[in-house]
Amino acid sequence: MSRSTRSIAVIALAALVVATACSSGGNAPGTAAAGSTINVMSLWGGSEQDSFQKVLDAFKTKTGVTAKYESVRADYATTLQTRISGGNPPDVAIIPGIGFLRQFARQGSLKKIADLGIDPNSLKSNYPPGILEIGQVDGTQYAIMVKFNSKSTVWYRPDKFKTFGVQPAADWNAFTKLLADIKAKGQAPLGLGAGDSWTLTDWFESVYVRQAGPEKYDQLFSGKLAWTDASVAAAVDTMKQALKDDYVAGGVTAALGRSFTDGIGQAFSANPQAVIYYEGGFVGGIATGQTNTALKVGESIDWFDFPSINGNKGVTIGGDVIAAFTTKPGVKEFLQYMTTADAGSVWAGTGAVISPVKSVPATAYPNDLAKREAAQVANASAVRFDGSDLLPSGGGDDMGAALQDALRGKTVDWAKFETSIQAKWKAEK
Amino acid sequence: MGIAPTPGIPQAIPARAGLSAVRSARGPEKPNYLAAILFLLPAAILLLVFLLYPAIYTVLLSFNRGRNGVFDQWVGLDNYVRLFSDPDFINLSTFPPSGALWNNVLWIVFYTSIVIFLGLIIAVVAARVRYESVIKAVVFIPMAIAATALAVIWKFVYSPDANIGLLNAILGAFGVAPISWLGDEHIVNFALIGVGIWGSVGFATVILSAAVKSIPAEVIESARVEGANERQIFFRMILPMVSLPISVLAVTLVVNVIKLFDLIYVMTFGGPGKASRVIAFTMYQQAFQAGQYGYGSAVAVVMLVVLIPIMIYNVRRFRTGAVT
Repeated sequence: MSRSTRSIAVIALAALVVATACSSGGNAPGTAAAGSTINVMSLWGGSEQDSFQKVLDAFKTKTGVTAKYESVRADYATTLQTRISGGNPPDVAIIPGIGFLRQFARQGSLKKIADLGIDPNSLKSNYPPGILEIGQVDGTQYAIMVKFNSKSTVWYRPDKFKTFGVQPAADWNAFTKLLADIKAKGQAPLGLGAGDSWTLTDWFESVYVRQAGPEKYDQLFSGKLAWTDASVAAAVDTMKQALKDDYVAGGVTAALGRSFTDGIGQAFSANPQAVIYYEGGFVGGIATGQTNTALKVGESIDWFDFPSINGNKGVTIGGDVIAAFTTKPGVKEFLQYMTTADAGSVWAGTGAVISPVKSVPATAYPNDLAKREAAQVANASAVRFDGSDLLPSGGGDDMGAALQDALRGKTVDWAKFETSIQAKWKAEK
Repeated sequence: MGIAPTPGIPQAIPARAGLSAVRSARGPEKPNYLAAILFLLPAAILLLVFLLYPAIYTVLLSFNRGRNGVFDQWVGLDNYVRLFSDPDFINLSTFPPSGALWNNVLWIVFYTSIVIFLGLIIAVVAARVRYESVIKAVVFIPMAIAATALAVIWKFVYSPDANIGLLNAILGAFGVAPISWLGDEHIVNFALIGVGIWGSVGFATVILSAAVKSIPAEVIESARVEGANERQIFFRMILPMVSLPISVLAVTLVVNVIKLFDLIYVMTFGGPGKASRVIAFTMYQQAFQAGQYGYGSAVAVVMLVVLIPIMIYNVRRFRTGAVT
């Protein structure tokens, strides 16, 4: 008896939700879902968690829905998969990579955005082209990107550049010349923390999207172009023009034993051994917040665009998507809220990430570094998502390991890599 | 008698003797099967649910594609064929061989032997100096550190940058160029084994020290009186008398090696490339990172198969040890 009354209540509630959503655009305080509680799971901790909590608090004020945050720091994908298999998924979760998004969507665990009562077409105008597509699986919208960082930022020391009398480089030839010039002054130019192999996949993707172009990039990271294609080896060769013993402070072998954060330290600690460090927009926050609080933006830390190759200026980004596992009251409101400029501005206000929502004003970003990062992506001719995150799960690690091999001078067997990655693509279907 | 790891066994015999004595006193009695079953049930259920069921599940999963940890497609021995033709798992075509399984062999050979060697030396030598407890405490301290913390500490020690890494700072003081301990495929396994040794010598020392102490002083004394020199005493007396604890220790260490995961996960994540992967890490990587639960289960089954003979040996050794 109690069960049937409950389901009637749910239906009534759902009807009310739809009704209010239609009448008020779903943004009025005190919607039908007010008072309900949903749980939201993500792998964010520390400052990222604090930022997200601000978004959740703002959401509660706006809608009256309590979003309880559940942070799973280690083995996130495994925990999430276990809860799904056990029939106890969170209501909403950030998805750990696009490979997992496809997996969860195809196994039927995720709710379609349309099933929540949100028309995906109505969201289009909120986002620059290419952003919504990242949350689609086989053409259906399952997830929404909530925050991202550019991965086309080359961080450098303006003070040292001034001392050496060199300028940031706009294209690849100028970049390698810049590295040679700095080296000629007796300074190793590049920091590199390739013990964390994802730093190498980011290098590769930044080179590949420019050298081979966005179309080939899409094909390669969707399994339609073989890794044996000459463009792959060519991109690795290009990468190695910069990442070689002459230019990497301490040499390449040392870099393979160095963590990502220690790589930042090479360029931005109080006692730097390098003057350039390439990684995403998040480097700024780590460098100024943790590595060396004495850094001054514009004087001792700044970034320039990853150099163009053959005139190509495509930008790569890395970010997080959020998706719903249930249609509980409040879930729709939550996802809808995440697409608004309100939520985007709260994220942006943390200064560490960029909001994909178009209507988030530039003034929402608290510092110049983030403001310019947002502008870089907004003005890019082509925006592409981090390729290693697009690969089937496990593929990114394999790709990183292959690039580590390439860097230490081993010949990478791309045919074998292709076989293993194709097996992973096939297993996904 | 007196050997630390087998205290329970000699007592078991008088206990059983006592039971039969009670029985014969009361005369023949029907064995109470119900009570026996009731007493065994809790343990049996726990073993069944948490040990036997997962083990069988894993074995069955290893014959399946096992996407997402559920049975979806029977593939027979495919996973095993793939595993043993995977050069990242075992590659015998190069010299020295490589692959995760080979790395475990390196660990077993170097880690086990060096830990026992150092443990024995410290146990024997420390017993002869006044500050024995201080020395043993110092050697034992790493045992009190969680393996993950140990790994983080050593990641710093091994840092390729001389201004972060202790080892390279020391080398730098002697004018030697920094070494990439964790970034060089030829060094990384030995660097990791070094950390493992540092973390386990204390354990070996404590076990062996107790064993050495349990040798009756009169035996050693009489050997001395008979004119044996210290070397003879060590090789002909002490070593044979602690051979059982050594073999127990060796088995424990080998089992530790086969289960080894945390150090690798924290320090290198199997890198550079795949140079420092071990089988337990491969299992984790394939099952939980790549979602290939079938393939990962096959690795787990290989681990199990490798462990079984060691466990059998261990149990046998306990039994014979208790008798002699």
